[in-house]
Amino acid sequence: MAVTQLQQVSKAFGPVKVIEPLDLTVERSEFLVVVGPSGCGKSTLLRMIAGLEEATSGTILIDGEDVTRKEPSERGVAMVFQTYALYPHMTVRDNMAFGLEMAGVKKPEREVLVGKAAATLQLEALLDRKPKQLSGGQRQRVAIGRAIVRDPKVFLFDEPLSNLDAELRAQMRLEIAKLHRELGVTMIYVTHDQVEAMTLATRIVVLRDGRIEQIGPPSELYANPDNTFVAGFIGSPRMNLLEGRIIGKDPTGRKALIDVPSLQLSGVPVPLRNPGADVQGAVTFGIRPEDLILADDPAKADFTMTCEIVEDLGSSVFLYNTTSRENAVVAELPRATNPGHGERVPYRIAPDAGFVFGTDGKRL
Amino acid sequence: MRRPLRWSIALAAGLLVLAALIGLPFWWVVSGAFKAPQEIIARVPTFFPQSFTLEHFEKLLSASDYLTYLVNSVFVSVLSALVTLVLAIPASYAFFRLTFRGRETLYRIILLAYAFPSIVVLIPLFATFARLGLVDTRLALVLVNVAFALPFAIWMLRSFFASIPREIEEAARLDGGAPLTVLLRIMIPLTAPGIAAVAIFAFVTSWTEYVFASVMILSDAKRTIPVGFSGIIGQYQVDWGLLLAGASLAILPVVLLFALIGRWFVTGLTEGAVK
Repeated sequence: MAVTQLQQVSKAFGPVKVIEPLDLTVERSEFLVVVGPSGCGKSTLLRMIAGLEEATSGTILIDGEDVTRKEPSERGVAMVFQTYALYPHMTVRDNMAFGLEMAGVKKPEREVLVGKAAATLQLEALLDRKPKQLSGGQRQRVAIGRAIVRDPKVFLFDEPLSNLDAELRAQMRLEIAKLHRELGVTMIYVTHDQVEAMTLATRIVVLRDGRIEQIGPPSELYANPDNTFVAGFIGSPRMNLLEGRIIGKDPTGRKALIDVPSLQLSGVPVPLRNPGADVQGAVTFGIRPEDLILADDPAKADFTMTCEIVEDLGSSVFLYNTTSRENAVVAELPRATNPGHGERVPYRIAPDAGFVFGTDGKRL
Repeated sequence: MRRPLRWSIALAAGLLVLAALIGLPFWWVVSGAFKAPQEIIARVPTFFPQSFTLEHFEKLLSASDYLTYLVNSVFVSVLSALVTLVLAIPASYAFFRLTFRGRETLYRIILLAYAFPSIVVLIPLFATFARLGLVDTRLALVLVNVAFALPFAIWMLRSFFASIPREIEEAARLDGGAPLTVLLRIMIPLTAPGIAAVAIFAFVTSWTEYVFASVMILSDAKRTIPVGFSGIIGQYQVDWGLLLAGASLAILPVVLLFALIGRWFVTGLTEGAVK
């Protein structure tokens, strides 16, 4: 469907800058997820695309057409709100037909279009109900249905699942993914939940303080983060970030050798993104929980830690190990292992694992 | 959680006192209207009527212009309520939705209408109306009633608009609703309880308005109930039966209004909209 482009778009509420000037292109049929902590400006970004918030500067293009100063209804977008925002005094049918009616679609045609959308979302049996007679999940489906009937160029989702309970959230997540595949439309989805971002997105935008930290496919962001913020934000439990110091490079020159005092590690080889760069001094060493492997033979362990808390998820076990007061190092182990509290556990670091970040947080 | 018995008793007693405080005068008026004249002025008042008569009503309707006053009052009050709504709804929506320079100042200034006792503005208003040829017209009363009901109506409705989740309005905007359409199709239905409350407020203030009605209206055929009725009672002696019958009838339209509009006073009208 449509290519959506943001060119140097910024937003300020009075003296408060919410979005720094940023460029962003959303490709046709893409599922772009904007993710970031609360207050990072992700909802504002979405509302600017919707036209509910005016951009302070910059240009917004949808399908090559400048919509920056256009009314929301003239932009060819539909939005699903976190709170559903259904019209409580109207039936499900009327809720879905309202936009069509405003667009001047005649009644018989409205009926057909609403029927079609209702069939897609399995809402046929609920068409004559009022929103208050529906469950949370059904309401969310109606809100999505209301967006679908208008056949928009771009779908906007503003944290649509955060009002649902965990089970329903997982179910609706699948439905939205299915919908995206069936309709093949462009979707821009805002969430603070990185699991939603990872599972739904074709590309993720990580936003912090109104700035784009990194854009890329989920796997790319996970395996190749640009900085400590993205590294810490993507992935659950989060990546372990520990103070370290570069003591040199390995013979190939592709890996830095790092000392990590809190793990009593010395000379760990960690791949460098930029092997040519001259790196030295204090750094941050990042290691994902699954890259800390239980050493079968304690003699071959790289280091040992004291197990503090065990989170048994059934499929795997998360071990929280205290190295110092402020740092808990998390390791993900296979489910069979179940060390007790206070036990010394030997670990190895997976080959080619780990990241090095400079003192400014940027990946080295 | 179960309430201790003594709390239940205390609560029930409290409710009873309140109900009596509000209900007894009404009972006194309505039951008295059906009592024989001797019983009304009996030295020992009777709580339950010992006699039953319709003579007061008969006298009221046949020997006085009460019906004319009633019609005038209904005319003035209904029109006042309608005009108040027609003006207050868009005004309060504008105060709520639009941002313009001096909005909050203007919003407070409109309450100045209540700063002066009506008696203070009576004379200048009379002079103005005299020049406009509005003295001795029921329209004059409508204008005055609307002017006094409007500021409060605007304040009340704005807070009702503010209670509607912003997303509902935004969804309507995304659906392509023009501001007036959003107001008519979405906002008004959702603020129905507030609108009903404002309508009743405007109606009742008009219904009971005395000062302006007594001065602006000169001819008997245009008088409203409060003024006309006070003439019926008599200057030198009080016909209690007539007074009670007239008062009973005067309550009736207000009671009917509450019965008709009361069904709009349902809470949770926006239930199911968000969350």
